[in-house]
Amino acid sequence: MSSVFLTIWRKEMIDAVRDRRSLMAAMSYALFGPLLMAVAFLVLIKDVVSERDVRVHIDGAEYAPALVEFLESRRILAGNDEHPAQDIWLTIPEDYQSRLERARPIPIIVRSDYSERNLQSQRSRLESALREYNQTIAMHRLTLRGISGEVIQPLRVERQDTATKGSRAALVLGMVMVFVLMSVFFSGMNVAIDTSAGERERNALEFLLAQPVATHILVAAKMTAAATFAILGGVLALLLIPAVFLFVPLEKLGIDFAFSPMDQLVIALTLIPLALFASILQLFVSFRAKSFKEAQTYISLVMFAPMAAVFALEFSRFEHPVLQLLPVTSQHHVLFSTIAGQPIAFIPVLIGGLVTLLLTGLLVWVVTRMLRSEKVVFGL
Amino acid sequence: MIKTEGLAKAYKDVQALNGLSFTADDGQITGLLGPNGAGKTTCLRSIYGLIKADAGYAEVDQVNAAENPLEVRRRIGIFPDKFGLQERLTAREHVAYFAALHGLQGQALKAAVDRVIADLDMQEIADRRTAGFSQGQRMKVALAQAIVHQPQNLILDEPSRGLDVMSTRILRQLLYRLREQGRCILFSSHVMQEVAALCDHVVIMVAGQVKAEGSPQALCERTGKASFEDAFVTLIGTEEGIML
Repeated sequence: MSSVFLTIWRKEMIDAVRDRRSLMAAMSYALFGPLLMAVAFLVLIKDVVSERDVRVHIDGAEYAPALVEFLESRRILAGNDEHPAQDIWLTIPEDYQSRLERARPIPIIVRSDYSERNLQSQRSRLESALREYNQTIAMHRLTLRGISGEVIQPLRVERQDTATKGSRAALVLGMVMVFVLMSVFFSGMNVAIDTSAGERERNALEFLLAQPVATHILVAAKMTAAATFAILGGVLALLLIPAVFLFVPLEKLGIDFAFSPMDQLVIALTLIPLALFASILQLFVSFRAKSFKEAQTYISLVMFAPMAAVFALEFSRFEHPVLQLLPVTSQHHVLFSTIAGQPIAFIPVLIGGLVTLLLTGLLVWVVTRMLRSEKVVFGL
Repeated sequence: MIKTEGLAKAYKDVQALNGLSFTADDGQITGLLGPNGAGKTTCLRSIYGLIKADAGYAEVDQVNAAENPLEVRRRIGIFPDKFGLQERLTAREHVAYFAALHGLQGQALKAAVDRVIADLDMQEIADRRTAGFSQGQRMKVALAQAIVHQPQNLILDEPSRGLDVMSTRILRQLLYRLREQGRCILFSSHVMQEVAALCDHVVIMVAGQVKAEGSPQALCERTGKASFEDAFVTLIGTEEGIML
């Protein structure tokens, strides 16, 4: 009995490994996710870490050389041919110097379309630089008059960020984990289709079903073959993530990314039931299809559901105890806790895995019944 | 030995089998002859348990096909209506796979595969992947996978369709050899010449029922016709769906 299972599994594996299409599909998803995230982070870090120059139009720069110099030190520069100025105009009045000397208010104009959101950050940088300069001059004047500058600073606001490095990592790396889940769903997909709808398309299904093999063993073996690919894809993605992020200076974002081999092992184990579940779901859909193409269409529709669920959870941070028990969401929860640096609660993990396996078993039964039905097999 | 008794099967609006009863004995080649749509494929599928009959039963070596399909399938080799090969496997792997599904293992499996490859004279193609095989080569693989486990009963569904002369000869020689070994061979066909030439026993079926059965000579005598062809047309009452 088990030797027949192994025979079918081995044959499906040989078949799949020799099929370039399946192999490429399996590997590409695993590679694609981490690489995409790495590129995204590289761009993000550049954006956050290096303050870019703000280029504005400055009218009357010659009346206030000290102010212009101060703005330059805050990387706010006048536009030139090479770096054209944005649509922000700073106007310094002609009598700047004389008003300054007489300690009269100096009207400085910042003109811009304030509904233009793209310029929001540049405007606020300009304004905060001006505010800072304002403050500096005020301090000087008070000091000259023998008054401490502190009297005009009743409040001093201090920011204390309570986000741990781990939780900040979770926020960002949650996306990476979505890719791990996705690679589990997509890596085995081609194998699942080929072994079911492909078999039918090749006219090999009837002969296979007429062999002295119990149908549930046939289904289980085909499922396991597809799941093997799914899990390999997931593991490949897991291994690639730390490797890829070696080249991304995450610490500049204040993200502490530690992904120990132990974490990877735990995640890989939690992915096993998910891989089986994903594969039997794909078999369930594609055994009903008449051809490879038809199966691909149906499956991409069906695969949309779990992916949508994961993305929704990822963005909404919705939590409910039941979610820890359902397939896909329970595994997502484990992955998420791991990267957030939270200890893994093994009981929910086990229960989530068991529920997933239970549903998998149920689907195996359904697919087995399907293959015993002449309607499905011969399309009568 | 293969036996059906009162087999009936209806699809939505078609009565495919309508009380079909016949016996195919060991050491004989039995031909199931009928026009297209007579229910031949449905009959064979219910023998290997892929289709559940509405009434009646099919037996292989006294084992009921509906009650114990796995045991029945162990006793038969099948050359199906449509056979597709696993194109990424070599012919040898292909045959070995189905031998393993029949429970052969290790040395016994290897010996069985080698034997059938030699029997069908397919050493040259044995280690090539089956993608791109000619029709004749594909047929050899399909025959090899059907008989690798040395079944007592062999069922062939329209085996000669689309075959060239060489392939037909291979098939015929194989069937004669198996008959000498005392095996039971049942094949369906709508090609009359083939049935007349090959069969010891002919079952003529029309609209899911047996119209007549016996040896080709006996059928000629019964209808008083000189040729089997005339006898056949007389028996089924129409020339439609028959290939001469």
